[in-house]
Amino acid sequence: MKLQLEKFGKTLISRELGSEAFKAFQPTLRELPKNEGLEIDFSGVFTLSPSWADEFLSPLLNQLDERLVLLPSDNLSVHATIRILEEANKQSFKMQP
Amino acid sequence: MEEKLLTISQAAEYLGVSLNTLRRWDESGKLVAIKKDGGTHRYYREKDLEIFTSDLMRFASEWIQDGIEFPGTFYCPTSSIFNARLTKMESALMQKPGFEKLYSLIVLIAGEIGDNSFAHNLGKWPDTAGIFFGYDLAKGIIVLADRGLGILETLRQVRPELPSHVVAVEVAFTEFISGRAPEKRGNGLKLVREVITNQPFDLFYISGDAEVRMKGSDKVFRVTRGQRIVRGCLAKIEF
Repeated sequence: MKLQLEKFGKTLISRELGSEAFKAFQPTLRELPKNEGLEIDFSGVFTLSPSWADEFLSPLLNQLDERLVLLPSDNLSVHATIRILEEANKQSFKMQP
Repeated sequence: MEEKLLTISQAAEYLGVSLNTLRRWDESGKLVAIKKDGGTHRYYREKDLEIFTSDLMRFASEWIQDGIEFPGTFYCPTSSIFNARLTKMESALMQKPGFEKLYSLIVLIAGEIGDNSFAHNLGKWPDTAGIFFGYDLAKGIIVLADRGLGILETLRQVRPELPSHVVAVEVAFTEFISGRAPEKRGNGLKLVREVITNQPFDLFYISGDAEVRMKGSDKVFRVTRGQRIVRGCLAKIEF
């Protein structure tokens, strides 16, 4: 399953909204077959902050582990945010080359 | 041709303050009005209002230090208003030559600092809720400030032994710690420090009497003790 993150907005900044987005995504996530991965597509997102992403991507990584795959992005805030989340969580995201 | 003058009502709308505030500012000399031919009605040149609103640091410092009112155009009482204004700044910044890619890191920094103010002071604002958020993209400056609890008091909720503002600010910028434990938080200011270190941006940050100045090409993160103690936090980002 592919999730276009921009469906939650193009400027993904606050903790509060990241947490709301995670809750809103749960029903869709329940439909994800056990043997299928979830691909996160960052295209269309202007700014991703560590606060928003920590409320959305960190718990997804906990739930899905290797099944969570991040698609390539050339956005600088996406790169910086992923790096700090990996450091904070002491766990790497699986990236699609 | 004579320059068009704004009436006091138009000036109040432009600045987002009340008529009484403008009258007070005129009497105190803070923003002097023009009076035609010795009349009593107050008028303002648009250019003067532009110059008046350009001193973002003065408004932010006077507000957090002494509670002095500032033009309402810079006030974000809630995080949703802050988010809306940040999005507006983002669209303008991505049009700025040279910032086609860098814009997202600047928005990230401003977003993290502003969001921190709301997240850490929710339900605890000592007096005025909300933040000051002003920017001048032509000059390359963003100023954010709040009259909240400040870093020391926020972090003492989880680390009561923190001895000073300086140590608290150092912890906030270098460790994964949150003032909202047991919630897992506290990665924002670490990333702010990292981005400022690696990018052509400068940061001036104060909370209590702790100051962070990261400027120029050889940027080292260091917290020093300043001359004054301020309420809440104040940040100036330059690029």
